Amino acid sequence: MFANILFSVSSLLVISSCILMMWTKNLMHSCVYLLGVLIGVAGLYLTLGADFVAATQIMVYVGGVVILMLFAVMLTGGKDYQSQTQKILNLFPSMGNKYTFMWGVGVAFVFGCTLIYFFRNLFSVIKVIESDDSYTPTIERLGELLVTDHLVAFEISSVLLLGALVGAAIIARPRKERPAFIDDIVDDHHHDEEHH
Amino acid sequence: MENTIAGYFLSFAPVQHLADSLGVGFTSFLIFFAFCTLFLVILATVGGFGTIAERKISADLQARIGPNRVGPYGLFQLIADGIKMISKEDIMPRSADKFLYYLAPFLSLFGVVCTIAVMPFSKNLILTDLNVGVFYAIAISSLVGVGIFLGGYASNSKWSLLGGMRGASQIISYEIPVTLTIMMIVLIAGGLSFNTLVAEQAGMPWNWYIFHNPFTFIGFFVFFISTLAETNRAPFDLPEAESELVSGYHTEYTGIRFGLFALAEYIEIFVVSAVSVSLFLGGYHIPFGLLEGTFSNEILQFGSLFLKTCALYYVVIWVRWTFPRLRVDQLMSICWKYLTPIAIFNLVGTAIWIVAFDGRSMFDLFFGSGVH
Amino acid sequence: MSNQTLNVFMPIAIMMLLAALLFGGALLAAHLLSPKKPGGDKDLPYECGEVPEGSAWSMFNVRFYVVGLIFIIFDVESVLMFPVAAIFKKMNALGNGTYILIIFLSFISVLLEGIAYCWKKGDLDWVKSYKRTTKIK
Repeated sequence: MFANILFSVSSLLVISSCILMMWTKNLMHSCVYLLGVLIGVAGLYLTLGADFVAATQIMVYVGGVVILMLFAVMLTGGKDYQSQTQKILNLFPSMGNKYTFMWGVGVAFVFGCTLIYFFRNLFSVIKVIESDDSYTPTIERLGELLVTDHLVAFEISSVLLLGALVGAAIIARPRKERPAFIDDIVDDHHHDEEHH
Repeated sequence: MENTIAGYFLSFAPVQHLADSLGVGFTSFLIFFAFCTLFLVILATVGGFGTIAERKISADLQARIGPNRVGPYGLFQLIADGIKMISKEDIMPRSADKFLYYLAPFLSLFGVVCTIAVMPFSKNLILTDLNVGVFYAIAISSLVGVGIFLGGYASNSKWSLLGGMRGASQIISYEIPVTLTIMMIVLIAGGLSFNTLVAEQAGMPWNWYIFHNPFTFIGFFVFFISTLAETNRAPFDLPEAESELVSGYHTEYTGIRFGLFALAEYIEIFVVSAVSVSLFLGGYHIPFGLLEGTFSNEILQFGSLFLKTCALYYVVIWVRWTFPRLRVDQLMSICWKYLTPIAIFNLVGTAIWIVAFDGRSMFDLFFGSGVH
Repeated sequence: MSNQTLNVFMPIAIMMLLAALLFGGALLAAHLLSPKKPGGDKDLPYECGEVPEGSAWSMFNVRFYVVGLIFIIFDVESVLMFPVAAIFKKMNALGNGTYILIIFLSFISVLLEGIAYCWKKGDLDWVKSYKRTTKIK
């Protein structure tokens, strides 16, 4: 019973926040609606009994990625930008002109048909599953798998993350060279920084 | 049955009888709803008393008297404050982002209130003993950072924006030492649920995890300093530094919205202190197994946790009125160059300790196994 | 501990509901009780008595973004470490202590390399020191 309510509320939250996120033209509002989507997805994980994944979803995405996105928007100044497309396309998110929309619809049609073709058997076997709300805590099982079957993946993921860290640090690092005229302005103040 | 408060009550016959007629799910819902409301009311009151405690203790430290007009010793000041907050005009800057301005205090409050669901107040007085308890608490409390950032952004005031940016970056930075230190305790306890974390700290104070090994002793102070920064307390109160940023992220907030920000902050300090107590200072346990298995035992346990938490709360306020505020660059270098490496060192040290001494604590090693 | 029902997550949902109720109730009470007299200069952002000049939404320094990036990497690493930490004690009791210690330490050593790199390259400094390319005077 509770699982059904949780599922309904979470999926409603996901769908409504998703639509609002795509609809709004204010980047900051988009980020906040994304927050709703991510929390809703965490709720969906909970209905599947994946407690650790749900907490991870909130920890990494809500606590990290959304804040990073907000910072990234602040790099641009955070103002809302109005789209510059034609009148009727103004109703849609500003993703391009009418040709991009035509291409988008075409690609979506082909892709959707392919997906339906592949999953056509799925629809015939769907039954309403009577949920008994039972679940098994996952964290110990996850830990055991990480140190036995998936040990290599676990260790390599740390190297991957190291690569990501180094890459992020290099990309985000301010360029060391500065034009000479800035030195002219700030030279007196930074004279003692030569030694560092 | 599950390790929740509903599970505890469902083990009694009358409640069992009720559950037979209403269904287990609905009965659990009723029990949970009653206790969630109770916890929220208690914690909101504690948060309100936190403001008085702050003013009284600061007055004491500065040789003043403090609020003393409303009620005996000014104890009803929180009611007066609440009435004042509600009856003040709710002003929003004309150029503010209306939607985010409304949402920000809610997110802040939401992040704090949701952590209460896994707080252990006694063995059975824990709303739900989730299997990922402490991890969930870290995760959901990161919403506070988003709330503070949005509060600063939405006001469209320069002071607020600076405060909000500082607040968000400070909260995410100090989450790293906090997480690593909690992981150290998880290594010793062998689980993430709060009852597992507290279980082996039963009995005398030398069983507390703070005295488990030298690394946890350092770890407690790392954790305490980091949580001061997480809750924006002095000396880390840069997001609301009143001498440079007017009032930081809530400069433009007035009336009840400011009140909700403040309430969230004071509840958060209490919750975070209670988490520190559960992780390091023995949690709800009382020595000698006093009145084991009775209902009075639960009350004593609650009292034990509450007293320790209040003691820690006092230290938090004491620290605020003793130390000067840090600069932003000092704040960041303390986090990344001191606390995080120390936390990693503690984590490694504890891991080696557990394997080398088979998970035994210092006192256990020195005095044999007879001290339990 | 093995089999539970999803009811254990119920308090979280109720707490979310109650947070919304508390917020809504407080706002409603304030709406009913507080005076509403908009206008004048009081709904300008506070800038120490001056009339604010321009919007506050300006471009911000990239250093906040760098902190966010480093944080996310550490966050993901700690998420991966938590399940292993949770079974550390159990594995040690089963006699696999050295094995899991080596796994754990090798994971942390890579994390340490990352922080050492960032430290060395000055990404952890808040005030970045710039190297001069041209010498004046």
